[in-house]
Amino acid sequence: MTDKSLDDRALHFSGVASRLRRLDASILLWLALIAVLAFLVLNPILRLIISSLQETDTGHFTFANYRVAYGNIRHLQALVNSLELGIGVALLATLFAVPIAWAISRTDMPGKAFVRLMVFAAFVTPPYLGAIGWILLAGPNSGWLNKVWMALTGAEHGIFNIYSMTGLILVVAVTSFPYTFVFTSSALDLVSSEMEDAANILGARTLRTTLRITLPLVTPAIIGGIIISFLEAIALFGAPALIALPARFNVVSTQLWQFFEYPVRVEEAAAYAMPLLAITVLMFWLQRSLLGRKGYTSVTGKGGERRMIALGPWRWVMLGYALFVCALSVFLPMVVLLQAAFAKAWGRGFSLDNLTFHNFYYLLVEQTQAKQTILNTFVYSAVTAFAAISLTLAIAYVVSRKLVPWSNVLAFLCVAPFVVPGIVLAIGFYAAYASPPLALYGTATILILGFTTRFLPIAYTSSAAGLRSINPEMEEAVRILGGGRLLAIRKVLIPLLKKSLAGAWILVFIPATRELSAAIFLVGPNTRVISVMLFDLSEEGNFEVLSALGVILLIATVAIAAIGSKMIGRDFMLRRD
Amino acid sequence: MFTIRRRNFILGSSALVALGTGPKVSAQAAASMTPHEKELYDAAKKEGELTWYTAHSDDITSQALGRSFESLYPGIKVNVLRTTAQVAYQRITQEIKASAIQCDVLSSTDLGHSVELKAKGAFEKYIPENSSKVLDIYKGYDPDGYYFVTSAGLIGIGYNTAKVKEADAPKNWTDLLDPRWNNNIALGHPGFSGYVGTWALTLRNQYGWDFFEKLAKNNPRVGRSINDTVTMLNAGESAVAGSGPAATLLESVRKGNPLAMVYPTDGSVLIIAPSSIMKGCKHPNAARLFMEFLMSPGASQIWVDHFTESIRPEVPASKIAKPAKDLKIIRPTVAEITKGVPEVIKQWRETFGA
Amino acid sequence: MSRLKLSGVSKRYGDFFAVDTIDLELQSGEFVSLLGPSGCGKTTTLRMIAGFVDPTAGIIEMDGQVLSSPAGSVPPDRRQMSMIFQSYAIWPNMTVQQNVAFGLELRRMPNAEVKRRVGEMLEVVHMNHLADRYPAELSGGQQQRVALARAIVIRPSVLLLDEPLSNLDATLREEMRFEIRRLHDEFRVTTVYVTHDQAEAMVTSDRIAVMNHGRIDQVDHPRALYNKPKTRFVAGFIGRTNFIEGTSDGHEISFDGFALPRSAFGRDVPSQGKAVFSVRPHSMRLSDVPPTARDGCTSVAVIVLERAFLGEHWDYVVKPREGALTLKVTTSPLDDFPIGAPAWLEFEPRQMASIA
Repeated sequence: MTDKSLDDRALHFSGVASRLRRLDASILLWLALIAVLAFLVLNPILRLIISSLQETDTGHFTFANYRVAYGNIRHLQALVNSLELGIGVALLATLFAVPIAWAISRTDMPGKAFVRLMVFAAFVTPPYLGAIGWILLAGPNSGWLNKVWMALTGAEHGIFNIYSMTGLILVVAVTSFPYTFVFTSSALDLVSSEMEDAANILGARTLRTTLRITLPLVTPAIIGGIIISFLEAIALFGAPALIALPARFNVVSTQLWQFFEYPVRVEEAAAYAMPLLAITVLMFWLQRSLLGRKGYTSVTGKGGERRMIALGPWRWVMLGYALFVCALSVFLPMVVLLQAAFAKAWGRGFSLDNLTFHNFYYLLVEQTQAKQTILNTFVYSAVTAFAAISLTLAIAYVVSRKLVPWSNVLAFLCVAPFVVPGIVLAIGFYAAYASPPLALYGTATILILGFTTRFLPIAYTSSAAGLRSINPEMEEAVRILGGGRLLAIRKVLIPLLKKSLAGAWILVFIPATRELSAAIFLVGPNTRVISVMLFDLSEEGNFEVLSALGVILLIATVAIAAIGSKMIGRDFMLRRD
Repeated sequence: MFTIRRRNFILGSSALVALGTGPKVSAQAAASMTPHEKELYDAAKKEGELTWYTAHSDDITSQALGRSFESLYPGIKVNVLRTTAQVAYQRITQEIKASAIQCDVLSSTDLGHSVELKAKGAFEKYIPENSSKVLDIYKGYDPDGYYFVTSAGLIGIGYNTAKVKEADAPKNWTDLLDPRWNNNIALGHPGFSGYVGTWALTLRNQYGWDFFEKLAKNNPRVGRSINDTVTMLNAGESAVAGSGPAATLLESVRKGNPLAMVYPTDGSVLIIAPSSIMKGCKHPNAARLFMEFLMSPGASQIWVDHFTESIRPEVPASKIAKPAKDLKIIRPTVAEITKGVPEVIKQWRETFGA
Repeated sequence: MSRLKLSGVSKRYGDFFAVDTIDLELQSGEFVSLLGPSGCGKTTTLRMIAGFVDPTAGIIEMDGQVLSSPAGSVPPDRRQMSMIFQSYAIWPNMTVQQNVAFGLELRRMPNAEVKRRVGEMLEVVHMNHLADRYPAELSGGQQQRVALARAIVIRPSVLLLDEPLSNLDATLREEMRFEIRRLHDEFRVTTVYVTHDQAEAMVTSDRIAVMNHGRIDQVDHPRALYNKPKTRFVAGFIGRTNFIEGTSDGHEISFDGFALPRSAFGRDVPSQGKAVFSVRPHSMRLSDVPPTARDGCTSVAVIVLERAFLGEHWDYVVKPREGALTLKVTTSPLDDFPIGAPAWLEFEPRQMASIA
């Protein structure tokens, strides 16, 4: 081997041709990922926007859909109602979540493990199931709470009426406050006690310190929680259908449903859905501008120790408040749901002769679809979780290691679906893929694809966070010893990320099992999921069977999540053991 | 362990039959099948299953019908999808638009839907053998053979006997306007339920829309399905079911709930509910066989067991439910339904707010 | 009356004494450091003074009033003290102005007054032009100044500092040492300063309390600590030193390989028996000139074993010709003795500290 040939080879390697070849590989990768994201995210949203401007049947350009959608005062009223609902839920959820998060993260309140478990139970409960529980509790004439009130005071009427905007806000807030709780407590866990000590020694007592120092330090987390609660609330379909309709008001999601009645008006539905999109975008812009240039994390790394504040007798007050919120979100609805699940006729109340296993028997043995539905739900949710995590992990890797140009576009597309309410996304998916050429209507595929897109933002945020915690030097160590990038990923990155990925998997799996708004438009007769079946059952008032199905859903989800958490040594809030 | 009730007995025995005693039963079934049915059955067996969208009855009754069909014709699985009429219609139109027909047999409670879908060419023409054997009042709705009446139900006024004495209960539709029923009336929603749509149309014809304006003042609790009203009565949430479905209500009574049925003096509303085979469906032979089944005495017996009308003269009404022929009946014509129900839905939303 | 007084203060965790019977008194305006290695109990002591931790024994008094005792304590927010934390604990969501104003606003001072005092204070720490910045926009040294300003502006009775300079680089540390002392002098605040860095303690303090395993070994002015350490630990912790053991027979003290006349020492040298001395490396001189009779018998013949040139001085390791003892010696950069060369080591017994 002469030196010259070595030189030639070196020259060849650094030549333009091979540089182009390497560029090809990264461009191909970028194109592949873009294609997937375009399919999942861009196309449905674009189809939605285009549909809104098209005339039914002819496809001509028109603004008529917007006129119809917004020319009607009742439609506008529904939009206003949605905003009211969103704001109410955001505020109430914050009121529930923040004190509890503070108590658990920073004080010596007793019973923390129990309260955390209850918050988890609230997280797992779908809002429409909570709605049914609350209907059983606070129906104006028949709710248990009202009956107790009437018995105690001899009044003729109850005092709680769940069929009202207030009732709806309560029902949604008690199942969505866990999001705010998780964000806030994670952020609070990172605040050094020295921040509070500094205020303390300058003369501020516990309450003032908490309000002026501790909580403002986690403002981004709280605002994040507010935004998520707001967006969830305006996009919900199940709980409003159960409570708002009998209360004789509409929200955007129930109104959208009407556009799919006879005759079907997808284009008007699309036009009507646009403001939801606009509101969501506005929310995010607001968040950005509110937080601005203030920093929120401790500027130095040292001294980050966190000590619990001793509350003295006040810790019982905090526990009382936490238990009150848990009662509203878990105990009370669970009790009535269990009563109905084991009742022959739930209206007959708590009596031994009203007890039966028949509802479960009916579901698991007699009713032919129930078993398949239950299986569908967990299989689809699991597949969705795997798909979402795999895809977003790949994209997060590419973005964080800057493997392709304009990688931020990929990241943006992953997070974009967050902006689209579930029901609107489903309509977009339906518009894009239900008909030929793909003809995915009624298949499991369209459902899984829709769900995957819906949960891309959560999956991406978790994957990216997990990746951020791993120092790239770990992989570089492998590569400098001669291993390729893929080897480094397989042998170093994935094992290190196992726990964080499993946590992310659970964060996608659980909401997927309870998802109704997106499912209701995408299920076919063979791909029904539990949420849709619960909704259908609620239509014929079979609360006994419905409660039994709800109980099955809850038990199974909790079991899976508990097993998962045990395996990875973290709970769903991604705290370390 | 469980109280063996007649319904459970039927279901149980159907299950047993389906599970264990196959050949013997199929021999029996084969013996009672007409040659036409046998021909259909042989073809249907190859298809293996059937998807049925039904709004005709509650889930339990629908399941009972499905199980009965399966036991009579082993080898054909029935996927029962029970929803309200509007929801079923939505799903059908979605499937048509997507050119992906999943439904084989559609049983709707809104005759207007059938007329419209027939006009669109969504149905397959098939005249069941049994269609000539049903009661006269259920014959001849579509001479072209695209849809047939397979079920009928009565709507009256229901009330909770624990809250309302028989003497005080409303006797007629107009009694519902009495202010003493304020906050205590349960209704379904015509935007969801075909039954309620036709009921509202009938009363509009009878009394004018003014009736509903006044009814709205009594603050009724509006659900979705017509069966929601029975739930409200059971719960004690409402004392009176303004649109009370006889079948569901009497089922509930049988379960032990304190309810009673009133057949209004001006007339009970009779709902005629049709079934059709979807054009381009995946299991056409099974669908045809199912249509025969729906109009068979066996099916009518199940209807009667669940307090719905029998459509076959051979099958008498139950002892508890009053059959249509013994009552004063009011109902709109098919043309009125087709045009009127969408109108009524609109008016309802304006009057009731949602 | 002393400003701050700790009497018999202890903090026990199970069987472990983090702080073991501390007695300390500070006069008004004094600057005292708690100096020691990590785990010696200095931070715990500081936190007890602040009121974040209660003592398990002993009392802490200020101006005659009991602040902490095992029976109960005045909470930190009522002690009129201030504290600088290791992480500065500047609130990142508030501007410099807002951070510094916080304590004043809590005292219900009128807005105009608050503004004035904050402005003055920022002027003093040279941060006036950055009043509207957020902490994330400041350098380490600047954040440190904000912490100081915030603590001092309320005119605390006692200022507590917990290793405030450990996050800064060497030059900044030197600069801030002087800053802290300057501010102390300007405002005459009674100050307790915790550190493990003896240079910091020496530069800033009026007195230093050297702590070891929860106890105070010695409290003294820096010079006294350095020149007259009372225990081995103090001698070894403050600056470098040589420990040499000798036996006294009344006339002279015999060490390993040489002897020194007792008359050359100071008064506190035992007349009989064992005596341990701390001998600072720079308190001895190396010379290549043998001693004359006039110089007295405090010179010893040695051989140079190792040496290192550090620019500002030479570090030598030498050994007396007889015996196994090695000694570290520091000389001026001009004293160049090659390895293996013979030399004369001259002691100055008055600078040798007798260790108990």
